[in-house]
Amino acid sequence: MGSRVSREIGHDEYDPWGTLSLIVIYFVALTLMWLFTYFIEFIGNTPTVMGMIVPVMLG
Amino acid sequence: MTALFVDEYPAEARLVKAAFLSSFIAFGIGALFGIIQALHRTDIFRFIDSIKYYTVLTGHGVFLVIAFTIFFLVGLYQWAVTDSLERGPVDIRFTWFWYGLMAIGSFLAAISILAGFLEQPPMVLGAELRANVLFTFYAPLEANPLYYIGLALFLVGTWLAGIDWFRTWWAWRDENPGKRIPLRTFMVLTTMIMFFLGSIGVIVSILVFILPWSLEITESLNPLLTRTLFWFFGHMIVYFWLLPAYLLWYSVLPKLSGGRLFSDPLARVVFILFVLLSTPVGIHHQYMDPGIAEGFKFIAMTNTMFLLLPSFLTAFTVVASMEHGARQRGGEGRFNWLRALPWRNPAFTGMALAGLIFAFGGFTGIVNAGMNINYLVHNALWIPGHIHAQVGTATALTLMAGSYWLVPQLTGNRLVGRQVALVQVVLWFVGIVFMTNSMFRAGLVGVPRRTAEPQYQGFDYDVGVGSMGELNAQLALGGTLLFISAMLFLVLMLLTVFNNDSEPLVDGTLPPALSGPEDSPQVLDNLRLWFGIAFVLVVLAYALPLAGIVAQSGLFGQDIPPFPVSSEAVIYLEFGLEYVGAFVT
Amino acid sequence: MRIHQYEKLWIVGSMILIVGFIVTITYGSVGLGITMIGDEEETIAPDELNDDEQFGEPRVEQVGENEYAAYVVAQTFIFQPDPIEIPANNEITFYVTSRDVIHGFYVPGTNINAMAIPGQVAELTVEFDEPGEHGLICHEYCGSGHHTMEGLIVVQPEDEFDLTELSAETPDTVTSGEQVQLNATVENGQLEPLETTVNAEIGDQTFQQDLTVDGKSTQNVTFTAESTQLGVGEHDWTVTVDDYEETGSVEVVSNETAAAEGGEES
Repeated sequence: MGSRVSREIGHDEYDPWGTLSLIVIYFVALTLMWLFTYFIEFIGNTPTVMGMIVPVMLG
Repeated sequence: MTALFVDEYPAEARLVKAAFLSSFIAFGIGALFGIIQALHRTDIFRFIDSIKYYTVLTGHGVFLVIAFTIFFLVGLYQWAVTDSLERGPVDIRFTWFWYGLMAIGSFLAAISILAGFLEQPPMVLGAELRANVLFTFYAPLEANPLYYIGLALFLVGTWLAGIDWFRTWWAWRDENPGKRIPLRTFMVLTTMIMFFLGSIGVIVSILVFILPWSLEITESLNPLLTRTLFWFFGHMIVYFWLLPAYLLWYSVLPKLSGGRLFSDPLARVVFILFVLLSTPVGIHHQYMDPGIAEGFKFIAMTNTMFLLLPSFLTAFTVVASMEHGARQRGGEGRFNWLRALPWRNPAFTGMALAGLIFAFGGFTGIVNAGMNINYLVHNALWIPGHIHAQVGTATALTLMAGSYWLVPQLTGNRLVGRQVALVQVVLWFVGIVFMTNSMFRAGLVGVPRRTAEPQYQGFDYDVGVGSMGELNAQLALGGTLLFISAMLFLVLMLLTVFNNDSEPLVDGTLPPALSGPEDSPQVLDNLRLWFGIAFVLVVLAYALPLAGIVAQSGLFGQDIPPFPVSSEAVIYLEFGLEYVGAFVT
Repeated sequence: MRIHQYEKLWIVGSMILIVGFIVTITYGSVGLGITMIGDEEETIAPDELNDDEQFGEPRVEQVGENEYAAYVVAQTFIFQPDPIEIPANNEITFYVTSRDVIHGFYVPGTNINAMAIPGQVAELTVEFDEPGEHGLICHEYCGSGHHTMEGLIVVQPEDEFDLTELSAETPDTVTSGEQVQLNATVENGQLEPLETTVNAEIGDQTFQQDLTVDGKSTQNVTFTAESTQLGVGEHDWTVTVDDYEETGSVEVVSNETAAAEGGEES
């Protein structure tokens, strides 16, 4: 598969600012999805397993 | 134009093709089972008994995530080592030997599973030939000993493959002292170190506990222990599926994009992190298990969260490499460069779409890993959603896309149907979006996984937005698109293999990385060091939990006999129990 | 080692995410009190379940003022007890084990999610805020009937919930002239005393008795009817306490028949 290389970009001239922008979007997306899934989907899905108030003594 | 792989290394190419053949046959059968499941569990079309569903499900798991993925891995890695070290194995007969073990092992496991479709399975090794135990084969469910023997042989074959590549590297090192390990070989060797370490758990479980118990040499085993040993292996294995895709993303995708790998050193760091962290997280598959203390679960959780780092790094490095290619091709702007990428190339598009799905699937993995939030999703249909986004797309779609690039170089034939190939990869993407979306949403309302009939008598799912009917339709639609896509892929591969009077359009040269290995410290190549640290981390994560399990309930459990899953016996058992159950309540 | 500045930035961002996830989860544990199933419970061999004090008789019992324990056994392909009846707004601790293979213990639509592993006991404490019915399913493949493995959790309003058990009996036959004794036993499984009324009918005669049964104890009540008033023949009887009812019948036989049959009691 030949690629249309119209210019060569070497190591020192290359700053992946497009990637940085995409990854910032990803960071924000992950944060929002996490907060929604944890605090709304999960915490809202009661009942949830909690600790016992008093440990039960069993025979 | 450099020489094709098949012309430079014909003997090795033959081995790679054999491995791919095994891989694709398994893929076809596994895909067929998948569509049967998608239509059955949604109650859209049921033509088998629900009891046989579990035979189908076992086959779907084993044919796809054991045979399809790992046969492809050994083929791909054989190519990667040969091409990057520019030499073949020390003794190619040994190479064929390990391939042969894998072929025999997978064949034995396969017939054990498929015998489950027979009304009268034959008797083998003193028991009915069947393996309705799913890919995880949790005891006390019991399969025929032949199933366990098959799996063990397959694993041994894979082990020997790793040893073969180490031998090749050592031989190369003798002739190239002081040189850095070429990146592709580095990725192969680190993957195999990770595999050696993680597979110890399941090998011990099978050889010491499950196989003797199925042969009636021992009378009992400890189900929590064997389950924990399985998951000692079970998380590492998902990275065994993922890392071949990463190898393609790091070494081939930049070239397909028209650019160069952004950073070789970071690729090495990523693979080292997988060596270190893939195994000591296994307990995150057991958050809901009794018999393992919360403290150990917390440690597994933190280890797992740190295991996000190599994947996060990969996202940046791989996308930066794609961006480099796009800009070299004339792309401009903050986001517009995406349009300059070679979207007409099915190999490129397949890998790019696979990466996109993986980024989303990664989020679902964070949820799974989240210890207490796991209560929300454990054993619900969300989990297969995650599985199909990750191994089902990040891996499978990348392997298919990679095949479009590699198979022409292995056969010396041009790829048949390049446009159809593009349709195929996009179809897979669309199918996965529908199917996993349905699985995630259904899982959140409590629909379980691994069941023939998620429709129950005593309650309805509280679906919220949409309806069960809509969720089922989406799942079936997605599954159907995936099946069509899978068949298209296999047809194109077949046609390409027979497309003899043609020349491939691809060229196998891989440009050097923008930042090469010389920009990284030599210690990254010190594989012995990384193995040592990984070993210590595994001991720290597992010694106490395993000791606790053995101390509490015994190395061989407390009189726990096998439960062979045979259709006939269970029907009588069912009647008996319904009677008893009704009587008791 | 040369790392591009943007990638260094992302490494920092990644670490923020990773630490953020861990902090959220820790808050869930420490701040909200969400507890993972652990290893505090004693192990138990599956073939000893029938002799076990708790799992030998799977049941719900009260263990504190607002605390109940539910001993549940999962087996192919049912849950015991079924249904599991518990009160709302009380702390319920489930103890779950398996009689045979690995099962799941899952209430779809909630976070009640556990594994039932033979040899192990899963302990999980939950509280239902509202009365209602919830499906209980097995979500770990356990054999060919796995998809039929389903139970029910019935959450009753707190003030309607009881652990009352009623049993009653009479002799099968009574000779005319003798008394018919209907013996009712009311057991109160809760900690609070149960103040209630026992209603009985023998034939066409009705009886009523107010009763207080102390917490975790049993009381007997006997109702007496004259067989001569009932007459010869079969008479149905009924005993009710709250929503519980026991029925049976007693036959009054004439003296001649009794003599002829020579005291043969059926």
